[in-house]
Amino acid sequence: MRVNPNPIADLLANIDNAKQIQETALAQLASGRRVVVPSDDPAAAAILSLNHASASQSDQFLQVIGSVSARLQVADSTLGSVVASLNRAISLGIQGGGATLSQADRNAIAGEIQGLQQEVVGLANGAFQGTYLFAGTADKAAPFVLNPAAPSGVSYVGNNGTNSLPVGDTLSVATNVPGSQLFTASGADVFQTLHDLATAVQTNVGVDTAVLAVRHAFDSITSQRVFYGNSLAQLGTQQTYLNGVKLQLATQENAVGGADPAAAATAAVTAATARSAALQAANSLLTTSLFNFLK
Amino acid sequence: MGSLFGSLSIAVGALAAEQGALQITANNTANINTPGYARQRAVFEEGAPVLYPALVLGSGVVFAQPQSVRDNILELRLHEETQQQGQFDAEVQQLQQAQTSFTGTNDVGSQLTNFFNSLNSLASNPSNLSLRQGVLTSAGNLASSFRTTAGNLQLQRSSIDLNVVQSVSQINTLTDKIAGLNRQIAAIEGVHEDASALVNQRTQSIRDLSQFVDVRVVQNETSISLTTANGTALVASGKSFDLTTNLDPSGTQHIFSQGSDITNTLTSGSLNGLITVRDKSIPDLLNQLDTLAAGLSTTLNGIHRAGFDLNGAAGGDLFTPPPVGITGAASAIKVAFTDPTLLTASSDGSTGSNGNVVALYNLRGQPVASGQNPFDYYASLVFNVGNGVATAQAEADASTATVRQLSDQRNSISGVSLDEEASNLIRYQNAYQAAAKIITTISDLTQTVIDIIR
Repeated sequence: MRVNPNPIADLLANIDNAKQIQETALAQLASGRRVVVPSDDPAAAAILSLNHASASQSDQFLQVIGSVSARLQVADSTLGSVVASLNRAISLGIQGGGATLSQADRNAIAGEIQGLQQEVVGLANGAFQGTYLFAGTADKAAPFVLNPAAPSGVSYVGNNGTNSLPVGDTLSVATNVPGSQLFTASGADVFQTLHDLATAVQTNVGVDTAVLAVRHAFDSITSQRVFYGNSLAQLGTQQTYLNGVKLQLATQENAVGGADPAAAATAAVTAATARSAALQAANSLLTTSLFNFLK
Repeated sequence: MGSLFGSLSIAVGALAAEQGALQITANNTANINTPGYARQRAVFEEGAPVLYPALVLGSGVVFAQPQSVRDNILELRLHEETQQQGQFDAEVQQLQQAQTSFTGTNDVGSQLTNFFNSLNSLASNPSNLSLRQGVLTSAGNLASSFRTTAGNLQLQRSSIDLNVVQSVSQINTLTDKIAGLNRQIAAIEGVHEDASALVNQRTQSIRDLSQFVDVRVVQNETSISLTTANGTALVASGKSFDLTTNLDPSGTQHIFSQGSDITNTLTSGSLNGLITVRDKSIPDLLNQLDTLAAGLSTTLNGIHRAGFDLNGAAGGDLFTPPPVGITGAASAIKVAFTDPTLLTASSDGSTGSNGNVVALYNLRGQPVASGQNPFDYYASLVFNVGNGVATAQAEADASTATVRQLSDQRNSISGVSLDEEASNLIRYQNAYQAAAKIITTISDLTQTVIDIIR
């Protein structure tokens, strides 16, 4: 049977094919990626598109968790100072209720309690990066202002708004507690109880009741403070979870779109061998014919 | 009774026959690399016998018309498969260009991610002007990415239009050439001469034409005619029918034959590959981009209008509204304002509220286009792009393999073998030398006879 006498096209195609396989394998080894354009593996490319979006989203969540955690920590720390002030006020109240104190002593203690109230006002107007921590969502203005007309001498001008922030696909955390809920809650108005305690100590009337009211305010702040602790703990847990997710996504990216170094190296070597053989065959086939042997 | 001169005549005839055979060998060897050339074979026939009384003697050899060795059915099959290869190669080449718009770090998918990330950042501090500017910047980048991708695809359609015009011009050149060859072949064969060299050229020209368009070869008694698969005449014997191109109302080039639009009647060839990508593949991708751009901007705008800006005022659109019918949405999408304070992060009018920006952010997981969220929809789009290229590539590879196989078969029949030509050369050389020796011998014998007379 007569065979194709001019196999040049086939030889070139085989050489090109081996070269392409070799280059692809070497590119995979160099980049570590198997899927560079969607046509390399359309299904994998679609998965990688979602994988990259999820990985970027996880990074984003970790970033905002860092930012929000700092804010929550400042708020928690501020409330810690408020608690310390209330503790001091309770001590002063107990001290001011003593029967042996002179009026001057009572006035001095009452003055210190009033000073504590001013201090708490300052703390309640605490800010973080230009926004007030306890103003609800009206966070561009100080939420507590001195107001002689108010029974406690302090008015809340923030609002009751709260924010929650997505920090996971299905998880959002509340990022603030409005000052009205923290400092001026009914029955636990910090400013009112401090004001009343100062008055009670000064007049020596109803000091025990006033101290008890401050204790209620103290308990209220302490229980509200748990919110920040819980949120910080939740964010810490979420941070750990997201780092795990990132690891999983990186693993998936590698499994779906990463090159298999062993397979790529084998393919490169095999293709190089095939190419050498094809070149050798071309050299032999293209340079020899019966004409070479005619004398 | 034989004669010396009879023998001389036979030897001279043999010399002429071997010379003719040697010329065929030389011609075959010379055309070993000529595309479409079919090797020729020397045909020797025994001369008519000479009748003598009670004796019949041979009269030597006759060099008959050389034969071109060709399998016409195989040539036709090769033409058909070449048409398929032309179509798939054109599709692969164009789709590979298209898919580059859907890779890299600036594609729509990456910008979608950046945009939603910026919304999440703003949700953590909704009154922060830097973060607000960040949202506007990433929204602008997203819109720009839509416009760039759509623009690149539109540009590619225009580029394909140029290819269509050039292809039609090349088709016309080839059909003119084939019609001319038809006329020459008819003229030569009309006087019973060998037109195989021209037939070879015509076969190769049909093969070249097959790269561009679906050709059907109709063999008639004296010539061939060419039509497209749908019956549009390209060549009728010695006459060719030029194709023309004209812009349709949408601005794309359509192909006409004798006044009829044949654009959608082509079935294979690179011209049909170009038209398929221009009129189907790219419009499909553009439609998907438009669907995503329109769905995203419409839904985002609805949420944005429900919120309040940094000044406490009700919001407007975030993106320019998509055109009615969504066609062109990706090309037209822009951010509607440049003032970051106009972003409606707030859901209650207070500066620190993030309710509305969270609602905007939550859209990343909600259906905006064909019941899918933006990321799933874009992933589907990426799959479709890649699958289109991969499918066309697989078909092109299969078609290339078939063409190669058919070419091998064709060459095994019609290709010139140097080994074969070398062996023929030796055969014809030996025969020529033998004939020459006979002439020398006859000459010697004749001299002997002449010497008797002296």
